[in-house]
Amino acid sequence: MRYHRPGLDVLAHTLLIIGALIFMLPVILAVLASTQTPGALFSGTLPLSFGTSGLDHYLTLLSEPVRGIGVPAWRLMLNSLLMALGIAIGKLVFAILAAYALVFFRFPFRRCCFWLIFVTLMLPIEVRIVPTYGVVADLGLIDSYPGLILPLIASATATFLFRQFFLTLPPELMEAARVDGAGPWRFFIDILLPLSKTNIAALFVIMFIYGWNQYLWPLVAMSSADNATLVMSLKRLTLSTDGTPPWHLATAMTVLALLPPVVVIIIMQRWFIKGLVDTEK
Amino acid sequence: MAELELRRLRKRYAGGADVLHDIELSVHDGEMIVVVGPSGCGKSTLLRMVAGLETISGGELLIDGTCVNGQEPAERDIAMVFQNYALYPHMSVFDNLAYSLKNRGTPKAEIARRVEETARLLDIATLVDRKPRQLSGGQRQRVAMGRAVIREPRVFLFDEPLSNLDASLRVQMRQEIRALQQRLGITSLYVTHDQTEAMTMADRLVVMNAGRIEQIGTPMALFRKPATRFVAGFIGSPAMNFLTFATDDLPDWLTRVPADTTEPLRGELSVGIRPEHIMLTPSDAGHIEARIELVEPLGSESLVHVRPADHEARLVVRHAGTELPTAGQMTGLNVQGPFHLFDHHGQRLTTRPRLADTTCPMES
Repeated sequence: MRYHRPGLDVLAHTLLIIGALIFMLPVILAVLASTQTPGALFSGTLPLSFGTSGLDHYLTLLSEPVRGIGVPAWRLMLNSLLMALGIAIGKLVFAILAAYALVFFRFPFRRCCFWLIFVTLMLPIEVRIVPTYGVVADLGLIDSYPGLILPLIASATATFLFRQFFLTLPPELMEAARVDGAGPWRFFIDILLPLSKTNIAALFVIMFIYGWNQYLWPLVAMSSADNATLVMSLKRLTLSTDGTPPWHLATAMTVLALLPPVVVIIIMQRWFIKGLVDTEK
Repeated sequence: MAELELRRLRKRYAGGADVLHDIELSVHDGEMIVVVGPSGCGKSTLLRMVAGLETISGGELLIDGTCVNGQEPAERDIAMVFQNYALYPHMSVFDNLAYSLKNRGTPKAEIARRVEETARLLDIATLVDRKPRQLSGGQRQRVAMGRAVIREPRVFLFDEPLSNLDASLRVQMRQEIRALQQRLGITSLYVTHDQTEAMTMADRLVVMNAGRIEQIGTPMALFRKPATRFVAGFIGSPAMNFLTFATDDLPDWLTRVPADTTEPLRGELSVGIRPEHIMLTPSDAGHIEARIELVEPLGSESLVHVRPADHEARLVVRHAGTELPTAGQMTGLNVQGPFHLFDHHGQRLTTRPRLADTTCPMES
């Protein structure tokens, strides 16, 4: 829809710019603050320009063990990345297979299975954290990647979204494949996966950010310094012992924590647009 | 190249309702059988059972004498054309055609050769690099046909393949499908609800109603001698007219109940008259008095819808004259025969009644 009212355009853009500023201000402030010297940050006002430190704080964070945490920030980023990728890929694999079973196969208690999965949407990690910890501890997986990732690997949301997508596909597609001699796996790999490309890309972004931003569970599950993730360490950094938190380092690390999700979104965005332009249905 | 035999085939869904009752049919090698019936009569279910997409609840399905009840669709060596074509949207036309061969481990060179051959046969050789969404409806239809043809299956199955096309394309494609089927000589089962399609394409027609076969025969045999009132009403366009009379109150023009029936007829008698066998005459001069309700000019002829004065039924008359009658007027109807008689169960009466004033030919 497009109206030829210049006033409307101005109003719309004003609102958009205000909205964008509100969202961007904290990020801008963090970037600016991360370039200031520690002294400048304690002068009482937050400077609205780049400071004199440049990228010094970033280099410090990445090269030396961070005070109060014990490992350099690159190690934290690597840990976070492994966790986020593990969670995102795991969720996609489980969800797409579960949805495939729910939509294309007839087996006893199929509806029941769907509702069981659906009901778990109501149980976020925080609610089940104590029993989850118990199970992971019993399996001897505390402070390990499997212990960190496995409890977060199933996703009712992704299963549900894949199911909804599969339901929009004509059932004749599977029947045609059956007549053409494709078994269930062939059909899944040759037809279902290529058709789900854009859905997979979209869900990967969402699930990657979900995994990257995990705070509570890594805090509980990963006890050693070597295994700490970036997001859970941010808090530890500001709790330094000598009274004044190193805000210059904290803001720099915040910016570091922002970067990988941004990169993932930028890469995946191409896929979205491709998917939007050539709808293959 | 195969013979297909259906022996007392039954389908029952888990809910308990029988949707197909004891279907008996044998299809000869190279024959085109068209299964026709109103929606919900079970014709698609029947086709899907032959394809192996629906389980068979009872009876036997034989291809070339072998029972294939338990076989997967791919093992039965059948090919199916779906109503919505079900082309793989992300694959090029080439890959769509090649997919079944690929799954059977055909060598690459052989696949390329056969795809090219099939594409040429169906006149889609210039389209092999396109995706289905870049094709028109008719082209998609051809690709769907190609996907069925390429494997040289024993049996072709068609599930209303033309119903997504516009009228003129439908006429063209039905001729092409028929020509192709005859040329390749592949045994075919074709399901449709369109009686014109059924009449024009079939070697033999199967008319189904409510999960049962009403009649099997050549299109002309079914047209001339429908076994039941249902078949009579279904085959032919516009549909046959029916007038119902109590057997003890027959009109003058239908003087006699069939003379050589052994038991006396009871209840009601249906008289079926095709629209081309009724003539409009001046009012008071025909067998039946009627009011003209609607006139549909078709060019070479017109369809005149009339309502007889003493009947509930509405009749259609095929009027050849260029002079159109006007709606609202009274008219006389001259019933010419041949006509068809059905008892109150809808079964055809094969005996020969006589008309009052004319001796007209009666199909028996």
